[in-house]
Amino acid sequence: MLKFITAVLTSLTTGSIYALMSTALVLVWRSTRVINFAQAGQAVLTTYIGYEVIVRSGSYWVGLIVAIVAGAVIGAAIDRFFMRPIFKRVTTGPIVMIAPVVATLGLLGIVQALIGFKWGLSYQTIAAPVSTDGYRIFGSVIAFSPFNLMVLVCVTITMLLLTLLFQKTNLGLALRASAYSPEIAKLSGIKVNGIRTLGWALAGAAGGLAGMLFVPSTYLYPNAMDVLKVDGIRTLGWALAGAAGGLAGMLFVPSTYLYPNAMDVLLVFGFIAAVIGGLDSLFGAVAGAMVLGFAINFTTSYISSRLVFPTAFIILILVLLIKPAGIFSNKKGRRD
Amino acid sequence: MHNFSANKKRLLLFILFGWLLLLVGDRVGELRQYQGSFVATYTLAIASIILLTGYSGQLSLGHSALMAVGAYAGALSINNAHLHPVIALIIATLVAGLFGLILGFGVARLSGPYLAGTTLALAVSLPSLANQFPILGGEQGVAFDVGAPPARFGEAFSQYKWFFWISSLAALIMIWLISNLLSSKYGRSFRAMRDNQVAAQLTGINTGRLKVTAFTISAGVAGLAGGLLVMLISGVSPSAFPLSLSFSLLTGAVVTGVYSLKGVMLGGLVLVAIPEIADSVVNRIGGSEGFTATLPGFLVSALLIAAVLFAPNGPGQLLKKKH
Repeated sequence: MLKFITAVLTSLTTGSIYALMSTALVLVWRSTRVINFAQAGQAVLTTYIGYEVIVRSGSYWVGLIVAIVAGAVIGAAIDRFFMRPIFKRVTTGPIVMIAPVVATLGLLGIVQALIGFKWGLSYQTIAAPVSTDGYRIFGSVIAFSPFNLMVLVCVTITMLLLTLLFQKTNLGLALRASAYSPEIAKLSGIKVNGIRTLGWALAGAAGGLAGMLFVPSTYLYPNAMDVLKVDGIRTLGWALAGAAGGLAGMLFVPSTYLYPNAMDVLLVFGFIAAVIGGLDSLFGAVAGAMVLGFAINFTTSYISSRLVFPTAFIILILVLLIKPAGIFSNKKGRRD
Repeated sequence: MHNFSANKKRLLLFILFGWLLLLVGDRVGELRQYQGSFVATYTLAIASIILLTGYSGQLSLGHSALMAVGAYAGALSINNAHLHPVIALIIATLVAGLFGLILGFGVARLSGPYLAGTTLALAVSLPSLANQFPILGGEQGVAFDVGAPPARFGEAFSQYKWFFWISSLAALIMIWLISNLLSSKYGRSFRAMRDNQVAAQLTGINTGRLKVTAFTISAGVAGLAGGLLVMLISGVSPSAFPLSLSFSLLTGAVVTGVYSLKGVMLGGLVLVAIPEIADSVVNRIGGSEGFTATLPGFLVSALLIAAVLFAPNGPGQLLKKKH
């Protein structure tokens, strides 16, 4: 029973971090019709910026705010100075279909390399602002700490703010209109280009927040479950060996590392969550992330942490086979 | 009749090029032979990307995983079934192709970003599976030993030259087969589908089936390239196929001009040259550990972006503009 409660609580925490990433992907997808693979690079970059601020100021909260703002600025800059020139320049030939996606991949590589230049490849840690010791229930420690609670609260507030923005303000209306039909939005006097950049900025901010919440996440397991911990450390060794660019099950490593590829795994899970949700809806992005969070954590708790990636992949394939438009969407299929 | 003579011409061209490679291989040192083997291997892998992306319009980031499938299949047939290396490489091709076929039913018909993201997830999730099955050797992986060159080639025939022969020959034969395929009815259907899917469907092309076909063939070719790659590093392990390999191959394909198989070797040369260039830059200006380790990745990405910005349809486009 305790194991079950623990699994539920960790599912909620990790699910909410995936939700931020999938939200970031959905925001860009809605405004530009591009899956922004560079989001992983942006998130890790803003987290490094946050890390730098924390080291200098000593305050996690200042770092968190700076990281979110930096995320927004970087997102906007990427759209304005990178994506728009690409769309303008590449207009002929079959390459048009893939050029924007390929460009975001190139950007991902550039950002990760630049981080390596500046901060090196060593693993950094960010101390969590609140305790990361699990709460005690009936005398035993569970894998849910005040920090996990903080993550949940932060993400819930962010989602509420985003919902308010999209549903209750004129700006939100403009954002939705530009996503729904750029031409008609333009005719009604909306500056679609500027709105698009805003979408990128929001996405960048969400990604930045995801990074700041992701890195200090301490152990996902109670101390009692040492067997799983050993598994996690072994997984880390494998990650160090460079497999999949360090994409090993970082989430299951009971510690707090920051390095240039740290967010790749979030990108993949964020993408899967976004697809489960249907790519077009913010609600879907959050719901998809929760589905994925639960699936992954229950697999880890009850089967093996090594099956995490295969589980996520199988879920992705199943969704694409059975309901390609996403579970939480009623639009028509994604297939040709 | 015209087509027949064109095919004959192509075969002659490939034989001529193979003969040229043979001569070159005799006249360079072991390091160059070894690098040449990598050029051939990467060229073949890039050809598999071009076949998929350039001719059928699908974008895959999972080719590192498909190469891994072929590599493991090949390694197991040598190690556990004690098969001849040539048969092992053929098995690598077939198993990866079969894997591509199964996967293709699920994903090949997805449109652009969905396929890209799904294959990305594949590239991330597949290597971690290698730890699940003891037969795959976990992190240490499985050895892939093609053995010493046959005695009849003489004492002076080095292991590296043997690598060079095998990989060049395999790449030449495979690329010849691909270019034949692309100039056949299939190639025309691929191009039609890529340029205008609806129009292609109207002419009676079953685009869904065609996409699965393209994915299957591409996976098979990638599997062979994977087998060759682990032959060169004498063993297969999960870390031999990082996600960055997929990105490098994509860069190679875009630099070559993603929708033409002509000049595909350029991509292979670039991928082998980049670490060398990075090395010489580091030797000249020095730099921290972080700089040294990330410079190759930086160069690959910068090249990818530059190619998309300035020559999105390949270097041939630049030449044409000047005239």
